[in-house]
Amino acid sequence: MLHVQNIEKYYGSRNNVTKALDRISFTVEDGEFIAIMGASGSGKTTLLNCISTIDAVSAGSILLDGESIAELPQSELARFRRERLGFVFQDFNLLDTLTLEENIGLALTINHADSHTVQEKVRDVARQLGIEGELAKFPYQVSGGQKQRAACARAMVAGQSLILADEPTGALDSKASKNLLEIMTRMNRDMAATILMVTHDAYSASYASRVLFLKDGRLFNELIRGGRTRPVFYHEILDVLALLGGDVSDVI
Amino acid sequence: MTLSKLSMRNARRQAQDYLVYFVTIVMAAALVYAFNGLVFSQELLALSSMMEAMPVVIVLASILVVCIIGWLVQYTTGFMLSRRSRELGTYILIGLENRQVARLFFLENLAVGGVALVLGTLAGNLLFQALRAVTLSLFHVPYTFSFSFSLGALGLTLLYFALIYLFALFRCRRRIHTMKICDLINFDRQNEDEVIKKGRSRKRTFVVSIVFGVLGTTLLLMGNLLTGLVGAAFIIVFLYGFFLSFSSGVPAYYEKRPGKKYSGCQLLIFRSLSAKLGTMGVVMATIALLFTATLISEGSGMLFNAMFESRSGQTTCYDLFIGSGSQDEGRFDGYLEYIDAHIPVREARQYRIYQGENLQLTEYVKANANVYTDYDYDTLMRAGDYAALRAMLGYPAVTLEPGQYLIHCMSYLDGLLTGYDRPITVAGQTLKPGGVRSESFTQYLWDGNGRGFILVVPDELAEARPVSHSIYAAMTQAPVPEADYHALRAIRDEQDTRGGWYDTIFSKAAVQAEQASSYAMIVFPLYYLALVLTMVSATILTIHQLSEAGRFRRQFGLLGKLGMEAREMKRVLRRQFAIYYTMPAVPPLLISVPFLAALGGAFDPGSLSGPGQRWAIVGATLGVFFFIYLIYILMAYTSLKRSVLPAE
Repeated sequence: MLHVQNIEKYYGSRNNVTKALDRISFTVEDGEFIAIMGASGSGKTTLLNCISTIDAVSAGSILLDGESIAELPQSELARFRRERLGFVFQDFNLLDTLTLEENIGLALTINHADSHTVQEKVRDVARQLGIEGELAKFPYQVSGGQKQRAACARAMVAGQSLILADEPTGALDSKASKNLLEIMTRMNRDMAATILMVTHDAYSASYASRVLFLKDGRLFNELIRGGRTRPVFYHEILDVLALLGGDVSDVI
Repeated sequence: MTLSKLSMRNARRQAQDYLVYFVTIVMAAALVYAFNGLVFSQELLALSSMMEAMPVVIVLASILVVCIIGWLVQYTTGFMLSRRSRELGTYILIGLENRQVARLFFLENLAVGGVALVLGTLAGNLLFQALRAVTLSLFHVPYTFSFSFSLGALGLTLLYFALIYLFALFRCRRRIHTMKICDLINFDRQNEDEVIKKGRSRKRTFVVSIVFGVLGTTLLLMGNLLTGLVGAAFIIVFLYGFFLSFSSGVPAYYEKRPGKKYSGCQLLIFRSLSAKLGTMGVVMATIALLFTATLISEGSGMLFNAMFESRSGQTTCYDLFIGSGSQDEGRFDGYLEYIDAHIPVREARQYRIYQGENLQLTEYVKANANVYTDYDYDTLMRAGDYAALRAMLGYPAVTLEPGQYLIHCMSYLDGLLTGYDRPITVAGQTLKPGGVRSESFTQYLWDGNGRGFILVVPDELAEARPVSHSIYAAMTQAPVPEADYHALRAIRDEQDTRGGWYDTIFSKAAVQAEQASSYAMIVFPLYYLALVLTMVSATILTIHQLSEAGRFRRQFGLLGKLGMEAREMKRVLRRQFAIYYTMPAVPPLLISVPFLAALGGAFDPGSLSGPGQRWAIVGATLGVFFFIYLIYILMAYTSLKRSVLPAE
């Protein structure tokens, strides 16, 4: 589904160039749940921004369903984002003035979906994510976990093919994090959502089927869960992090 | 860095953040200074003895204006305090005392106010020149530019602004004094509390407020002082009830119509509206109230203006007019003696108005137009007198064909009487209609050339009828001085005490001075109030809108990430703007337009040239109001569009 080929990203002026991404290549298959891990400043969010077309790469190419993102004209990018990508952010990014139902429905409205079917589609997704009872509430009336589930619902309600999650558990307590990760697993398993999640938390990453490790803008390692249980996979991730050097304190 | 330097820097930065507010304060200071200039201008007060009352009227209006500006300053400083509380909290956190921070806030606001006052006073000097020019032209005195700096006006302006600022700032100071760091840091998170919380009581309030609105407007239109006052109270209840409960009505409407809610960008627009009303209902209601007052004062000002203008011309077309119902041959002797001795007359004529045979034309006019009737007969004038008077007034000559009669009427009856095609009978002879003239002809009040209209008939036919009253009309070489006019009135009053007929005396100069004074005392303060009200209300709305820049930026940032196109985002922002600024203007429109139309209709017949002029005045009122309002909207829109929409 997603082919990232030799992408590079530079920041700064001529005299002071920072290389945020350095020849990164990987592929995401349909229905995969991938975590991208790395310390602060390793380039995780830059990578996600490039894939999500919010930022442009300096070199290399990104193909989504065979279509090169870099070649899309500016006017097409908005359409591409609303039709193909779903976003889940660390700070939820729900609009305070809209109810959860309306926040989720917003993705459909922007997609110019038939307005009479919006409510039904929203309820359908909300039921699967366990927030059907909270739909009439405003973001400030629900818990962080519920907000994030609403964000997940918004990311997939319009049938987007790839969900990009940036530290989705970053603002949640451990119980809500666990709950959300289980829901994301279900979205991946039962609803065939392809998920690309950026995190620096080994526990969150252990829910993915594959983990990519970034260090200083480069792809450092890759772990595939395979048939292992989640706790075993978690420990393997911790081992890699220890090798990466220095992020252990973050994950314990 | 010293405290005063820090505060100066903050004041400069604040002036940029609140440019709209700053401009409004400058303009308000300019207006206050200019109108105070009128109070202290000996030149203008000496124009007429009737101008003596003007300082009182202007000071009264100024007190109202000061209250309104006071509200703006107090509201805005409170608002700034909440927006900057985190910064002020940080000062306390790093070791400044509450007292010092309060002083800092006090000083910088005082500095902003001081600069605005200086600029305002300078601009006020120009504005005063404009007011002076208008006043002089009202009294037909030629305008020459003479720079005058009124120390009195400056002192009064300073006093008003000192009161406004000290009151607002002392309140803020007290608040900062007693605040804890954590209060200050979290102060900007507090919203205006929802006044009516329960959905059901909101709906009930909504319905009740609409009833109050309709009742209030009806009472206001009844034209009686007591019902008018009750009506105004009802309208206040309506505005507050409406804006406090409206936010419940909108979601309920969309809740039942999900298809509508999710179509286009309705969702974003209606939610931003209901959120706004949910949190700033009281402010919106107050602004709607001020807008109502604005439209009413501005419209009334224009109506009075039109009335004074037309009345000045209609009261008398002669430089000097004396009308007498007395049949005594020597009725004008006392006056003529005085006039010969004191007033140089260019041309004069004594003539009579005669009684027609019946009320034929009066009844026709009464049935089709609004008119006062003074006589039990249609009034007649000799064709010879008519021709001579026209010549005296410089009107084009008119010939009366044999067997015809002419009608001379006030301009508002022109159309109606042109359509009158029936003959009349005078002294046994039948006359056919021979045309209608409607130049100004002293037909507005009693004892003039008929009331509203007069029939011009051949001399011999008029003379065959009894006399109604007599008139002395003169065109003088110079406007009749006020003293001579008063002397003539004194002669009249003396005759009256002797049991004679009570004569009517008008001098064009006196009438003009009276109208000009009324204009200066009624129309000026109304415009003054209207201008300040519009600016203050629009400023508060704009400050609120600009302060939401952060929220808008987050909203559009997210929408951009979710894939909304830039074009669509622009449309959403435009609509959110349009609705936000339309909301508080709609109820005032619904109230003031019928009110102004009714007020125009309540004037004496002929004061306005007809319904067309009345609606033109209503249109002009709205035009001026929306012009100023639109400037504020555009300022807010351009500034916000730049900062909140993602770069294309």
